[in-house]
Amino acid sequence: MNLFKCMCACALAAGTGAYAKPIAFAHGTTVMAEYGAGTMNEAQVFYAPKYYLSFGGGMLSLDSDVDGRRRDITYLRANYLLKRWNMEAAQANVFVWGGAGQAWVSESDSHAFAWNTGAQLDYETRRVYASLKTDLHESPAFSHRIDTLQLGIAPYKHDFNTLATWFVVQGRHYTGGIHDGAEWALLLRLFKRGAWVEAGSTTDGKLQAMAMFNF
Amino acid sequence: MKNSLSFALALMLISATAQADTIEMKVYGLVCGFCAQGIEKTLRKNPATADVVVSLEDKLVAIETRAGHDISDADLTRALTESGYDVKAIAHTQRSMAEIRASLKSGNH
Repeated sequence: MNLFKCMCACALAAGTGAYAKPIAFAHGTTVMAEYGAGTMNEAQVFYAPKYYLSFGGGMLSLDSDVDGRRRDITYLRANYLLKRWNMEAAQANVFVWGGAGQAWVSESDSHAFAWNTGAQLDYETRRVYASLKTDLHESPAFSHRIDTLQLGIAPYKHDFNTLATWFVVQGRHYTGGIHDGAEWALLLRLFKRGAWVEAGSTTDGKLQAMAMFNF
Repeated sequence: MKNSLSFALALMLISATAQADTIEMKVYGLVCGFCAQGIEKTLRKNPATADVVVSLEDKLVAIETRAGHDISDADLTRALTESGYDVKAIAHTQRSMAEIRASLKSGNH
């Protein structure tokens, strides 16, 4: 958990942000930290040697608001851009990823081998954004899948050196007893060049925030 | 006198051939600042690059090469493709980067 806080602090201190894609651009480094309504906290660092491939690691903490169970998962992961469609004024992507690491399990106060797989589909223009992400974390002691849907709309078209503003509706669903039902949030997302920050609130008033920096 | 004139003409020719070149590319898939950031970073690594302009609005990537240097169309296409984007057209133009920036700013493309 201390490492997570440290990574968040580093990301914010760097003054650059992170994008919600696991690969930003070739030879680029992505640092991301997310605070997910008290239910999940995640920090990631990835380096992309190619535009379609990145390697790195992350830390994920899951805190059940159902029964108080907790997992602290650290992992190494590879991300792969399976398919990209470049259109005149739009882009769509399919990403997949996989990795492995270790998890601390609160019920048994023990560590276990854990693995992670996932995929993301996204489509964006300069006015509309949609993504669907599924992220599965498993170990012999647990199985949690986090499905996240984001739909965004921009009030104006940004360009390279101008600030991008997005209003995003996020729906998230956890399996494995982390949260009952879907968790909805309304977010304000701002980014310019390599810096990205977003913040908002879930329907029950909890903070949802993320910062990402690409350099 | 004749020698001086020939020398002046030769200098003008050398100067013209050593002038910076502007290459304008139409690129598909440019939808966010991160796209542009990656492209700019890649192109600026090339020692022949003097300046780069990226416009999401115009799907434009323009590059000015240093005087006496050149980057082939094939190398530029490869650089953009290896950045994850599709080059649809390449044109060598006489527009300066200042003119391109002014044109983009005014919206008169």
